[in-house]
Amino acid sequence: MHLLLIEDDTEASKYLAKGLRESGYTVDVAADGRDGLFQATEEPYDLIIADRQLPHIDGLTVVQMLRKQANKVPVLILSALGSVDDRIEGLRAGGDDYLTKPFAFGELLARIEALLRRGQGTATATRLKVGDLEIDLLGRVVVRAGRRIELTTKEFQLLEFLARRQGQVVTRTMLLEGVWDLHFDPQTNVIDVHMSRLRNAVDRDFPRPLIHTVRGAGYVLRDES
Amino acid sequence: MSPEKSFRSSTTRLAIVYGAAVLLLVVALQGTVFLLTRSALQREVHAVVTAELENLAEDFNDGGINSIIEVLRSRTDSWVRTGAVFLLADQSLRRLAGNLAAWPPDVGPVGGDEVEFRIETHERGAASTHPIWARVERLPGNYWLLVGTDTSESRRALRRFGLATLWGIGLITMLIGLLGWGYSRQTARRVRDFTAACDSIVHSDLSRRLQVGARSDEFDQLSGTVNDMLNRIEQQASLLRATFGSIAHDLRTPLYRLRVRLEEGLLHNDTSRATRELVAPVLEELDRVQRTLGTLLEIARAEAGGLARKPERIDLVALVREMCELYAPGMQEKGLKLQLDAAGEAPVGGERQLLAQLIANLLENALKYVPAGGHVSLAVQVAAERTILIVADDGRGIAAADRERAQRPFVRLEDVATAATGSGSGLGLSLVRAIARVHRGDVELQDNNPGLRVVCSFASWRD
Repeated sequence: MHLLLIEDDTEASKYLAKGLRESGYTVDVAADGRDGLFQATEEPYDLIIADRQLPHIDGLTVVQMLRKQANKVPVLILSALGSVDDRIEGLRAGGDDYLTKPFAFGELLARIEALLRRGQGTATATRLKVGDLEIDLLGRVVVRAGRRIELTTKEFQLLEFLARRQGQVVTRTMLLEGVWDLHFDPQTNVIDVHMSRLRNAVDRDFPRPLIHTVRGAGYVLRDES
Repeated sequence: MSPEKSFRSSTTRLAIVYGAAVLLLVVALQGTVFLLTRSALQREVHAVVTAELENLAEDFNDGGINSIIEVLRSRTDSWVRTGAVFLLADQSLRRLAGNLAAWPPDVGPVGGDEVEFRIETHERGAASTHPIWARVERLPGNYWLLVGTDTSESRRALRRFGLATLWGIGLITMLIGLLGWGYSRQTARRVRDFTAACDSIVHSDLSRRLQVGARSDEFDQLSGTVNDMLNRIEQQASLLRATFGSIAHDLRTPLYRLRVRLEEGLLHNDTSRATRELVAPVLEELDRVQRTLGTLLEIARAEAGGLARKPERIDLVALVREMCELYAPGMQEKGLKLQLDAAGEAPVGGERQLLAQLIANLLENALKYVPAGGHVSLAVQVAAERTILIVADDGRGIAAADRERAQRPFVRLEDVATAATGSGSGLGLSLVRAIARVHRGDVELQDNNPGLRVVCSFASWRD
């Protein structure tokens, strides 16, 4: 996977690029908006990570210009501006996701993965399958190893969100955004409580767990057999 | 506009006062004209009668009683011609001459007396009553002379004149009323439009401006001035926004580098376990600093600039229900009972994310500070123009003296701080207040006997 990182903070950029390479990505780096836009137009990247405040051309303009050229490459905007309005502005400009600095590296990785895998098939699916777990999206029925599992509406939505991203790390913020459409940082462990309930329902009575906690990042739904 | 409300409007009051003054003047003027006309008509009647009387007295002086009788006989048709009445009587009031049949019964023989009486006539078969104004004179030799005239014509004229005056006053009153009503309605409508426009600009779209008409009257001048003011406010707001932006950038960038470096350290495989254990809590601490910073900026932005975008219609009942769903499992795990009392719809204008944050802060406060076994209840009430959100618990509450202080940034009350997990930044209630204010609302902390009752009120949504 070939990524372009547009970031003027050389120090941060160096570490980010290194971390991404260690996670298995090929990374090109641009230090300002003009170079970034040029590189993005020349090379077919799989994903662009753009800082919002950049010299010459700012990150939002870069995205807007790419979209005008009908370039649909997924763009993740990084920004020190974290208010609700800033976020909405970023997404309106054509960004696909918005991450406020500072962020945990795990959060960035999870979001990159989610963006890269987006649009890979599950959008129109009516049934999802993870190991012996089957989810009927139309009938809202969950069956594991032939046994029906009763879930509340929210638990079902959580499971669906995880199942559509099976094998990917999903962070707490991604869950809060994706399932509840809320964009703030809870001060308490609300998401963990919901996840432990879901775990109780899905994993407790079965020998092999499907929901796994990823330390320092979030959760992943995966059949590890 | 209700009558009570229309009386409160200053233009209506002004129109009423002016109308009343003009009406008073018109009534005084017309009244004076009426009185003057009446006395002129009376004077004319008097003058005619007095002149006739003097003539007859002269005849008496010249030719004695027979001369008068002669004159009176020659004037038998004077009633038909001029409406004049004459009567000469002896000392026992017996008629000697004149066109009256007898001395009128209600008139006494007093010299120089001015009297009024009525006579009945039968003309062309129709009976009619005529008011007569007359004077009585005593002639030497104990004769009584009565000279009078029919006043029915002048009375009729006067009545017609009076009626015309009353009609005139009535019409003028109606005209003044209509003009005043129209004027005050028009002015009130302009003021109302003006107020509504200002209101919507200040609360939803600071980039809009008032319309300045071509008439350049006071209203247009006022609109111009208000527009200038709005320009200034918008400039200040965008300056503040830019300032907060650069503060956020300048503070977050070093935190970001710090975080990246620490994580970089953790990524290395050769980093020792001891170092990892050292770095992990530093990262957590960094996250807390970041959260506090974010909250502070959010408060500052909300307090200074209000909503950056046009408010959306948010159903508070639906939002509260969602937030309850989000926090219910956490509450249950901590042994708290969460109760929701909200039905129907309660639309307010605002920003969903901010309102969600407000509700979340109140619920998280309850999670942190209400001891296990406690109750937390949420209620949404709609009262006319206001929509009220009440979050109440039966925890330890906040002492009355501390309630105002509790909403200020960084204040963590001693007694609750010790009971808490220590994770609060002391910004929760300040953010709640800032968000409520952005939504044209306010927050009040009350005693729930026992416990805390937070009452947030918002302006209800208007279509």
